[in-house]
Amino acid sequence: MKRFEKALDRWLGRGEASITTPPMDGAFRPNDLLDAASAVVATAAPDGLAVTTLGLVVSSGRSLLRVDRPGDAPAASFDAEISALVGLPDGGAALGLADGRIVFVGGQYEGKTIAANPEVKCITALAAARDGALLVANGSATHAPSDWKRDLMGKNASGSVWRLDPVSGARTQLAANLAYPHGLLEERDTIVVSESWRCALTRISQGSGRRSAPVLEDLPGYPSRLSRGADDAIWLALFAPRSQLIEFVLSEERYRRRMIDEIDADYWVAPCLRSGRSPLEPTQQGGVKQLGVLKPWSPSRSYGLIARLDRAYRPTASLHSRTNGRRHGVTSCLVSEGRLYFTAKGDGIVASCAYEGSMP
Amino acid sequence: MTVPPQVEPPLLEMRGVGKDYRGVAALKDIDFDLRRGEVHAILGENGAGKSTLVKILSGAVTPNRGEIRLEGKRVEIAGPALARRYGIAMVYQETSLVPTMTVAQNLYLGDEKFFNRLRGTYIEAQQFLQSLNFPVDPTATVLSLGTAKRQMVEIARAVRLEAKIIIFDEPTATLTPEEKHHLFALIDRLRKENVSIVFISHALEEALEISDRITILRDGSHIITDDAKSFSRETIIRYMVGRSLTDDLYGRAADARQLRLAGEKVLSVKNLSMQNIVRNTSFSIFAGQVTGVFGLVGSGRTETARIIAGIVKRDFFHGGDVRYENRSVRYRTPRAAVGDGVVYVTEDRKGDGFFETMSVAENIYIGQISSRESHGIVASMSETRALAANWTKKLNIRALSSDSRVIELSGGNQQKVVIAKALVQKPKLIIFDEPTRGVDVGAIAEIHHLISALADEGLAVVVISSYLPEILSLSDRILVSRQGRIVEELSPDEATSESVMFAAVY
Repeated sequence: MKRFEKALDRWLGRGEASITTPPMDGAFRPNDLLDAASAVVATAAPDGLAVTTLGLVVSSGRSLLRVDRPGDAPAASFDAEISALVGLPDGGAALGLADGRIVFVGGQYEGKTIAANPEVKCITALAAARDGALLVANGSATHAPSDWKRDLMGKNASGSVWRLDPVSGARTQLAANLAYPHGLLEERDTIVVSESWRCALTRISQGSGRRSAPVLEDLPGYPSRLSRGADDAIWLALFAPRSQLIEFVLSEERYRRRMIDEIDADYWVAPCLRSGRSPLEPTQQGGVKQLGVLKPWSPSRSYGLIARLDRAYRPTASLHSRTNGRRHGVTSCLVSEGRLYFTAKGDGIVASCAYEGSMP
Repeated sequence: MTVPPQVEPPLLEMRGVGKDYRGVAALKDIDFDLRRGEVHAILGENGAGKSTLVKILSGAVTPNRGEIRLEGKRVEIAGPALARRYGIAMVYQETSLVPTMTVAQNLYLGDEKFFNRLRGTYIEAQQFLQSLNFPVDPTATVLSLGTAKRQMVEIARAVRLEAKIIIFDEPTATLTPEEKHHLFALIDRLRKENVSIVFISHALEEALEISDRITILRDGSHIITDDAKSFSRETIIRYMVGRSLTDDLYGRAADARQLRLAGEKVLSVKNLSMQNIVRNTSFSIFAGQVTGVFGLVGSGRTETARIIAGIVKRDFFHGGDVRYENRSVRYRTPRAAVGDGVVYVTEDRKGDGFFETMSVAENIYIGQISSRESHGIVASMSETRALAANWTKKLNIRALSSDSRVIELSGGNQQKVVIAKALVQKPKLIIFDEPTRGVDVGAIAEIHHLISALADEGLAVVVISSYLPEILSLSDRILVSRQGRIVEELSPDEATSESVMFAAVY
């Protein structure tokens, strides 16, 4: 009976099968705080942020830059794109490269490289565990980090989380079948993972009898990196907005397949880090009323959003860069010296705003 | 010596017209005049007295005082039939046509010849409709017509009766933009034919677009009448909401009180749709807070609440999703919703809120048994009395005894019975729809206190109201509804009457 009801719901587009997106209200009430933040560094595709002995650093393409000296030569450069970055307790940093290697800069493992592994080749986030291990989020088993759009539109859920010993390079898989894990936060003997394609935060256990449980579901955007503030608040970057149009395309199997096969990924009906730059893109920011019914056929595909969560992972406040804003595609955020820094990857800006423990 | 310009006397004059309901003035000595061939918009909040004014004009309501002059002669409009004889016709939002009769039959209703030849009537109706440029089939039953065409028939009937004054009550509320365009073209044509139009609308842009003069009413009083050109949206809103009498009751400014913080998300409404009344609306409701929903009549607030509570159904295909306590719900009956702790306190307490011939105790007990999964066939009198005694005391319901019939109570006490009936169902989410409509001032304060106390206890409380001061003084967050959607969320510490009204109409 349940199966029949589910099939009926799918056909009628209702219940769990309804094409809906959560409202941006309550703690997610839109504002212009991201646009009001002061720009610190302008660089191509800034992505990760970390606090090291060099100060605050940001990854940008193949380089690691100091946020306080943006004009200086890069603190480090690599032969592949940096896809993940984390500051280590000893003041060094660990970086995940787009080809699956993990390299260390500064600290006790300075210069060390852990070779790529066929099982972990899409490193999207790193976190330092309390026992000195490195937690690694592998976004997808089939796609590279730059190919994230293809992973989403392919409705993949092949991501995994690994525990890595930086000394021996030994790996242990902690969780699999995750829908693009994109942020990690260790909490006692568990890890909270942001699953981008599930638009949710999931808690996974590090111990034996590993289990996963939802922490926060139904987010209005696609979540990426997580970080903890000084007052135990948790900061979550969301890199693109959900829209009914994209949810609809995700439910239309044949249309999606043809789109993936025949159209350049830049012009897909899919979320992106910055939209509205080309006339060839799907129509933006529009709606049409037909016979008195609003048809949301062309909502914006990019947005800037950071959420502040309390200890129980309940959203308490948010910072936005709206459709017409200039701080879209936020992939990371970090509190350092009382200020909130974030990377607007879509617009190529690292910016910061005052943060004094309370947000609107 | 200059000769003063000849001023044509107005077609209609109302001087000092007032109407009281049980000693409460709904209309306070209004002066109003209507010129020949003008479109005159009457604007005001809900309850400002617009409807009472036009009902007096159309003969549906008799005024307590004042005089009405038509073409300079004093007239008594004692009923709708007399109003029609005077050439005053009203086009209602909900048309007054007989749905099972044809268009032609409706056109000639009450004016039939002794021997009627149906074919002749159809031909005559066809010619008449064509002369008005109305594309309506005279042989079609009204039931088969859409809203716009029904309105065309209603207007045609008014024109056929050679009405000198046609009153339009919210004519565009259910029209599509295309249909609205046709309606405005028709009004323009009627104006050129020297027909005077009274136009009531909540859509300020429409009033500014179509009307020659605008009259604004507030709290039953006349505020201003002037040429439409001298108004802007902002000035209209200011005249509509500027309030002084009620500040004492609703003067609790948001900055003088502590706003409650949001608790758990209890309800998430996502892209909910129901025909063209609720249009793809989305919002969330949190525990421990009063969420005020403001909107003008027809903005879809009540319908949204009724969908949530299982009273009406959303669209069958792609009607959206309602998530209550993190699961998708689709209540088919209110009972299922009540069982889950979702309770709706109706705006129409006499129609849906209580059984008027039953006692206070029986009504409250009905609330209790309706929330149970199963119950016996015998009502427990002792339980009924104990329950009634408890809630009568708790809510300060003033009745001679718990055996008094609800119909014998004042409006405020009736409302308290309805609220008691809802509260015995142990709600987690309670939706109050116009909780203080038709309620005396003393009871309003008590009901407000009760609503605040419920939120303090951790319940998710929704208050739907068309009364701005109520929304501003009660709410911890304000949602504004317009054209079937929640269009704005405001915090009470930043919201003003103007900003909320602006969001509701603009």
